[in-house]
Amino acid sequence: MSATVRTLLAFALFAVALAIMPKIFPSGTALTMMSLMGVAIVFALSYNMLLGQTGLLSFGHAVYYGLAGFAAIHAMNWVVRNKIGVSLPFIPIVGAVAGLFFGIVFGSISTRRAGTVFAMISLGLGELVVAITLIMRGVFGGEEGISANRAKLEPFFGFKFGPQIEVYYLIAVWCFICVAAMYALTRTPFGRMCNAVRDNPERAEFVGYSTQRVRFIAFCLSALFAGVAGALGAITFELVNAQALSAQQSGLVLLMSYVGGVGHFFGPIIGAVLITLLQISLSDITKAWLLYFGLMFIFVVMFWPGGIAGFIDQHRPIVRSGRFGRLLPSYSALALPVAGIALGVIGIIELAHHQLVEAASEGSKMKLFGIATDSATVAPWLALVALLAVAGLVFRAIWPKAAEAFATANAAARGAAP
Amino acid sequence: MLELITFSTLNGVLYGMLLFMMASGLTLIFSMMGVLNFAHASFYMIGAYFGFEISRRIGFWPGFIVAPLLVGAIGALVERYGLRRVHKYGHVAELLFTFGLAFIIEELVQMFWGKLPVDYRVPPSLDFVAFRLFDTTYPAYRMFMLATAVAMFVFLFLVLKRTRVGLIIQAALTHPSMVAMLGHDVPRVFMAVFGVGAALAGLAGVIAGPALVTQPSMAALLGPILFVVIVVGGLGSLAGAFVASLLIGLVQTFAVAINASLADVIGPSADIFGDLGRVTVAQIAPVIPYLLLVLVLVFRPTGLLGNRES
Amino acid sequence: MSTALKLTDLRKSFGPTEIIRGLNLEVKQGERHAIIGPNGAGKSTMFHLVSGRIHPTSGTVELKGEDITGLQPFEINRRGLSRSFQVTNIFPKLTVFENIRCGVLWALGYRYSFWRFIDNLKDANARAEEVMDLIGLSARHETPAGILTYAEQRALEIGITIAGGADVIMLDEPTAGMSHSETDHAVALIRKISEGRTLVMVEHDMSVVFGLADRISVLVYGQIIASDTPQAIRANKAVREAYLGEEASA
Repeated sequence: MSATVRTLLAFALFAVALAIMPKIFPSGTALTMMSLMGVAIVFALSYNMLLGQTGLLSFGHAVYYGLAGFAAIHAMNWVVRNKIGVSLPFIPIVGAVAGLFFGIVFGSISTRRAGTVFAMISLGLGELVVAITLIMRGVFGGEEGISANRAKLEPFFGFKFGPQIEVYYLIAVWCFICVAAMYALTRTPFGRMCNAVRDNPERAEFVGYSTQRVRFIAFCLSALFAGVAGALGAITFELVNAQALSAQQSGLVLLMSYVGGVGHFFGPIIGAVLITLLQISLSDITKAWLLYFGLMFIFVVMFWPGGIAGFIDQHRPIVRSGRFGRLLPSYSALALPVAGIALGVIGIIELAHHQLVEAASEGSKMKLFGIATDSATVAPWLALVALLAVAGLVFRAIWPKAAEAFATANAAARGAAP
Repeated sequence: MLELITFSTLNGVLYGMLLFMMASGLTLIFSMMGVLNFAHASFYMIGAYFGFEISRRIGFWPGFIVAPLLVGAIGALVERYGLRRVHKYGHVAELLFTFGLAFIIEELVQMFWGKLPVDYRVPPSLDFVAFRLFDTTYPAYRMFMLATAVAMFVFLFLVLKRTRVGLIIQAALTHPSMVAMLGHDVPRVFMAVFGVGAALAGLAGVIAGPALVTQPSMAALLGPILFVVIVVGGLGSLAGAFVASLLIGLVQTFAVAINASLADVIGPSADIFGDLGRVTVAQIAPVIPYLLLVLVLVFRPTGLLGNRES
Repeated sequence: MSTALKLTDLRKSFGPTEIIRGLNLEVKQGERHAIIGPNGAGKSTMFHLVSGRIHPTSGTVELKGEDITGLQPFEINRRGLSRSFQVTNIFPKLTVFENIRCGVLWALGYRYSFWRFIDNLKDANARAEEVMDLIGLSARHETPAGILTYAEQRALEIGITIAGGADVIMLDEPTAGMSHSETDHAVALIRKISEGRTLVMVEHDMSVVFGLADRISVLVYGQIIASDTPQAIRANKAVREAYLGEEASA
């Protein structure tokens, strides 16, 4: 199977998956969540055009998402007010144009520098924009933000986009278009030179390319797609406020891309789906969910820098050569101590959180993993610390074996490959 | 008017010196290790909270001594067991590590001390009026802050100019790759610099806590301004960081004190600027550092006193 | 024959130290020109000055009659001068083929094109394949450049340099660190790629220099002290004293 055929097949599968998801998860919550995932996928992939493809670490990517969101919401209101016959599916184009516009404006300043300085500038510009939105209340609506009613736009072949399912399909179509476009971009001369600039900016200059120009174009295109995501977000929520362009939002897209894996095109897609899922479900389960996000991020940075996609990629040759079975015993032996460590860490955080935050108002009695306990007593603490210690020791004892098994299988798989 | 200028100058210099206490550590760490420490302002916050906790239990002065040392120790541990691990993955990973760390510290602080500001008080021994000018008084505590910041500045200056360690650090500022060749235990030097930088930030937090607001968002509010300071001053330039700290301190303090808007100056025609016409200078004070950043990048990309490109 | 490269009274100081001290050099079109000189004479600095990596304190650099002093590296490259590096300077995560193709793209006019698939660019791919053949790395087509052997990386380094078809090629110590057989390989390669082009080369291995060069310039302490045919340089007394003598007897 040639590479092109494989790629086309993958995109066909992606399209089918987008189409049938609502049949599998038809509930309202699921539809909303999947809509948000679609938005997050576009946003995270646009971010990875910078970080993964061009080697530019931005702490202010939400600026383009948010400003485009505001542009989209104003456009929706304007269209409704002036009774212009534009329907909702075309609003993301407004977002794209707005994203591109602000990308050109801010990119012309920030892409003069690369590396760490670029990262700092992106942060500074982000803060600048946030501060300005709080000053210009007329345009940005202050704390409440600006809202719109998507159902009041001209219907599109009869669809008014009131029900969530219609919005889902609108997002799915745009998501597919953007993913395909961003993938195609990596297969162009420009896309390759982005990688070259990421790998070795100096050499890129000596084969005729202005690295500053490459960074600038990458930045503008990335802002364009972030703009589409921002508009899709505005359509989903029918509301945009300063949160959309805040530093938190910028941090979130960084988290998605990095956990998913910045080294691979599809990594941020995994990250976007996973983090959106966690964001919505974790916040119901625990009040310390932001702390878990932070710990997860640090964990990936320290021990798993390739992210999930990197992990999959490492195992691809092993799976292909049929050697994955040999890894199973040592991997499953690891499962128990890993579960123990996770349980220990989560338990201690939950206990601490309850004791420090809730105990004063609700009393120290609590339920932990469904078991009634009391965070003010020593017993649960001791139990969890003991669990953590034992699991940790067991992990340390059997980890070398698993690593060795992986190394052997990997060497064999690569040796066997043509 | 005269009192406004006097007090704003005093406060501006004070704020600038506080900024420099942090920016100096940040610059040293960045120049020597290539790590932009995103969590630097978090150490400042931890310093303030430790100072608060110790002053509540024992007293302000023990906190003044112990809290910065604790923060320094935490900094050294972070370097030893965190940063050093991710070093092999490159500078982006290091930066991301400190980014995640800053996030976790904020969450932990919220968990331990709550989301609301804590009541970190000026010690009674310093709770009096230092002097009076016309109708306005100036608190002694602010004079104490200024004295501490200046003392730290002198200390840092002497260490850098008069000691062997200082010479190594200076060499490392201009030629980071050469330190290893000088035959020094580079990891130990890094750990020490990181720890001392954290301790300095912690000290800034301890003394700033009672005067400003000790709250979980204090790191996130200050951190970006620190980055502005070191970019505007010029990366790797301590003198630049000093100039930029004072500049931003003064400009921001004066801006806050000026309660005029464009509409006040040019009259109703300012309406063409919409909201912007009615905004007072005081309201745009938070934006000023970032505008300065943009201006410097457009007209002098290496910063005021910098000559390093990256 | 017209002049390919002309340096006039070129000077470069780092702080108070002047490294290049009024350097004059002329390289004719189609010539294989070697620069020799003791360590620290300023050979690499001269390469950096010509290729735009650093800018001279004073003096001019002319490429085919055009003043290129102070231009950026990419601007100089687009005018037909391409260089290699002493320390291998490749795109480590890209495949060998893609490394070469990066060297081809600008020259074929694809610039920052993001509306064409790179795999469909027949001319760019054909040219890259040709270069792959030429440098003998066709078997390593899909290997990430970062895991090649040292000698292969050096060949790739030359491949990237010549891929764009520049007519003035500058090679900075192309055989440094190579074994005898690897050096022989490299010399054959350099001979092949320099046909019909102007070659400027810094090299320490005298057998390579005298085997390849039509003309040799001797750079000592920031100045060219002699620029002549290999026979004349071998006979030159000043050169022997300053440099060659020690090398030859060593």
